[in-house]
Amino acid sequence: MRLTAITAAFALTATAALAADKTLDIGVSDALTGGGAVYGLPQANAVHLAAKEINAAGGIKIGDDTYTLNVIAYDDKANPTEASNAVRKLIDRDGVKYILGFCCSGATGAVASFIENEDAVMLVGNAAERSITTREISNLTRTRPPADYTGAAAGTFVAEKGHKRVAVLGALDVGFYASYVDAFEKELNKAGGKIVSREAFGLKDRDMSPQLTKIRGQKPDAILVVGYVEPAAFIYRQSVELGIDVPRYGFTSGSEEQFLRVATSEQMEGVWDLRPTELTLLSASDNGKAYHANYSAEFGIAPSPSSPYAYDQTYALKDAIEAAGTVEDTAAVAAALRELSVPDEVVMQYLPVDGKMFDENGQAYTSNGAFQWQSGNWVFVQDLPSDAAAYSAFLSTID
Amino acid sequence: MVEVIQQIINGVAIGGVYVLIALGLTTVFGILGIAHFAHGSISMFGGYLTFFFVTGWGFTLLLAILVSLIVGLILGFLVELLAYRPVRNASHINAFIVALGLTMMVEGLNLEFFGHEQIVIPTNLSRVFNIGGVTIPELRLYVILAAALLIIAMTLFVEKTKTGQAIRAVAENRDAAILMGVNVNTIPLVVFSISTALGVCAGVMVGSLFAIAPGIGEGLVVKGFAVLILGGLGSIPGAVVGGLVLGITEALAAGFISSAYKDVIAFVVMIGVLLFRPQGLMGKE
Repeated sequence: MRLTAITAAFALTATAALAADKTLDIGVSDALTGGGAVYGLPQANAVHLAAKEINAAGGIKIGDDTYTLNVIAYDDKANPTEASNAVRKLIDRDGVKYILGFCCSGATGAVASFIENEDAVMLVGNAAERSITTREISNLTRTRPPADYTGAAAGTFVAEKGHKRVAVLGALDVGFYASYVDAFEKELNKAGGKIVSREAFGLKDRDMSPQLTKIRGQKPDAILVVGYVEPAAFIYRQSVELGIDVPRYGFTSGSEEQFLRVATSEQMEGVWDLRPTELTLLSASDNGKAYHANYSAEFGIAPSPSSPYAYDQTYALKDAIEAAGTVEDTAAVAAALRELSVPDEVVMQYLPVDGKMFDENGQAYTSNGAFQWQSGNWVFVQDLPSDAAAYSAFLSTID
Repeated sequence: MVEVIQQIINGVAIGGVYVLIALGLTTVFGILGIAHFAHGSISMFGGYLTFFFVTGWGFTLLLAILVSLIVGLILGFLVELLAYRPVRNASHINAFIVALGLTMMVEGLNLEFFGHEQIVIPTNLSRVFNIGGVTIPELRLYVILAAALLIIAMTLFVEKTKTGQAIRAVAENRDAAILMGVNVNTIPLVVFSISTALGVCAGVMVGSLFAIAPGIGEGLVVKGFAVLILGGLGSIPGAVVGGLVLGITEALAAGFISSAYKDVIAFVVMIGVLLFRPQGLMGKE
């Protein structure tokens, strides 16, 4: 009897030791400094926040094991070489198999070019270059839709407003902004409108008054601004300073705080932002409101509009690992991601394709929305027409 | 015609910033022969400091600028004493390496103390003047006026004061200046202090008109050296003319040729000038 009791005690101890609390290292490669940090740092913060929440709720459970997430983040400076180095460090030195973040397309594209050969899963956030999910990479998924998916919807919206002559001012050397404008132009042309000029600015530019002066001389009936939030804020300010009084449409994202650092609310009044329905979180779902509150409390600053792409990635990864029943078999986890339904905890409003969060290309889709600056806040005005299934089919035809 | 005048006004405002950066550089280079690459980063530090005084300590803008200028004077003094003086008699490459090291150090300190996000110095100057279709924002007007005043002050200092004359004497002939009783150990301290103070002014202008963010200083110092070369090394009038030419050329190029190539066109013009006048627009042959 005593021997039986001792044996039983040993067995229970062994089981408890086997059913251990374990740590799962996940990596983040994102722009933590430099021009892309306005997108990358909030994403990295969002992953940290999601990991903290997951751990507080008991971690990731696989069988008898419970995994606590540990986030290892490296700065890729939105640079392709730095991103490749960061991911190599994560995989080779830190032994990480799941890599999140990826705000910026140039850096993301560089990593996407080799990730298929790695024992890893890559979850892309804000980087909107279309080709990232046209390469049939089985271990890559992306939460943000490609830029041209939104550009087409934006073109239809602007055309319906009756504008026939639109001047474009954008970071046109960046592929996904150029593809947004191309898709926008196609829909504008269908309605009899045209783009009267395409003026460019760089990531570090802050004085766009020469370009705006040229646009002013062309007398467009609307302006479209596409680019990173920091230079875009100066465009909105300088357009008022130059007396340009036509509707201003944008594809820039950016929180109220980021714009108000540069321009006054009066200078921003009436500006439209035609983008995935990312924000305004405060007028979105309960998840969005909770995310906004928790992020603000954790980091002392409001979350950026696109940061939830990374937050949602983390929960998608958690669900996929639990569905696959493994942390070691990345192919199984990647396959589970493709079969995933939209997790309950996500902030963005995804449009499932065939009931799944990610389509066969690993691409997720959100609705597109028209937001307008009204009295100091981005206000959601209306949905933009967004056919995720049709776009998914189109995406599958592209090499 | 309105658009041409507007582009010129656009160019004069940014040209004023280039002039101040170049004045700081030409003062150091022309008198001491040092290519002070850290000048851009130190100038941005001055802008960051002003922003901090205004938003963190609640100073008025003028008080913040004044305090930042004093800090700039002291900082310039320390940079010369601790960074460049030890290598004064060594090979020129040593000073070059010190300059690069200082740049990296100051950029790192700026990032550490002030973060990665861009900052804009709040000014409450938001009026816009419209004269016959040409618009001039109030802030740009003040920047142009301030740059003009600083240029006049600098010119008067160099031409009319004993210290200014001593600085010119050292620039022309260091040995002769020693023989004339000029304290050549004090002059570099004065030169760096003035250069840094001018840089702080440029940083304030950049921070209020545009924004300060990591990396902005490096871009500005490249423009500053371009102005130096265009205007003539060591020439204050050259720095003024060169800065305005570069600023206006950029604006006209963006407005009438292509905004994608505005920087390229400006440098093409600079190279063109140097082909016909290698000493720069106002440099001595």
